[in-house]
Amino acid sequence: MQDISLHLLDIIENSVRAQAQNVWIDIKIIDADNLLVISIKDDGSGMDDETLKAAQDPFYTTKVERKKKVGLGIPLFKENAERCDGSFLITSSLGNGTQIIATFAYDHIDRMPLGKLADTILTAVLGHEEVDLHLETHRIKTDKEIDFKFSTALIKEELDGVPLSYPDVITFLDQMLNEGIKNTEMEEN
Amino acid sequence: MKTLAELRKIREKAQNDMQLRDSNFRFKVVVGMGTSGIAMGARDVMKAIIDEVANRNLKGILVTQTGEKGLSSMEPVVDIIQDDKPTVTYGNLDPEKARQIVAEHIVNNRIVQEYLVSTRS
Repeated sequence: MQDISLHLLDIIENSVRAQAQNVWIDIKIIDADNLLVISIKDDGSGMDDETLKAAQDPFYTTKVERKKKVGLGIPLFKENAERCDGSFLITSSLGNGTQIIATFAYDHIDRMPLGKLADTILTAVLGHEEVDLHLETHRIKTDKEIDFKFSTALIKEELDGVPLSYPDVITFLDQMLNEGIKNTEMEEN
Repeated sequence: MKTLAELRKIREKAQNDMQLRDSNFRFKVVVGMGTSGIAMGARDVMKAIIDEVANRNLKGILVTQTGEKGLSSMEPVVDIIQDDKPTVTYGNLDPEKARQIVAEHIVNNRIVQEYLVSTRS
């Protein structure tokens, strides 16, 4: 993955596969602590301890014939965070969804760029109309905080059955996401 | 800044539109968005398709995504599904090729042989 927004998309896909109805994404840049914090939480099926362990380790297996297929997405994201003086925490239990919190030292030389966050959210929103996506971005400066909140639940309510893939709606979502994310000074390539 | 109030206008316009024709989707475009697809550029392919749908004002198109499709060597992969027509799979795509597929396949109803992987009923 070339940037953090692609990791994010990969994690959202995991949530959708786990039958999540809601995915909450929270991104913070905290200037005073030189910290980038990314949290992804879902209300999907969650994982038992064994699967949770396997999900973090690319080489982990308990059986010769691995029954639960686990990909490389999570281990790679974890490695990227830890390489940047950051941390990676994944918590999950069956029936209680999954949460991932990754932190990065914001000015670390190896930190991947955030990338096209708006594109990640727009494709995930249109790709899974049935799931509600909630995004918050926060830029916490020493003297002020800028916030952006986006939720497809409110948008769908307003649209009253008009599909999100209706052309004018696509344009609206694209502009809303780009403006909001740019306004919180998150956009970087 | 965009506000939710703007959506009300779009809703009224869309609801008028939808009364004039079938509310069913004419085309379903499915982008393979597994880990390998994403790493190979599937998001930018999907964004290009979405942009074309919006810019060309194409109605009744569902652009959606799925996990791994078992075609890892041909990612990014896109299926185009139409009622009572075989499913068409395109592979090794990039945003430019994806835009071309929207223009040719969806607008002009011609399969783009150059990027075709398979057709199946």
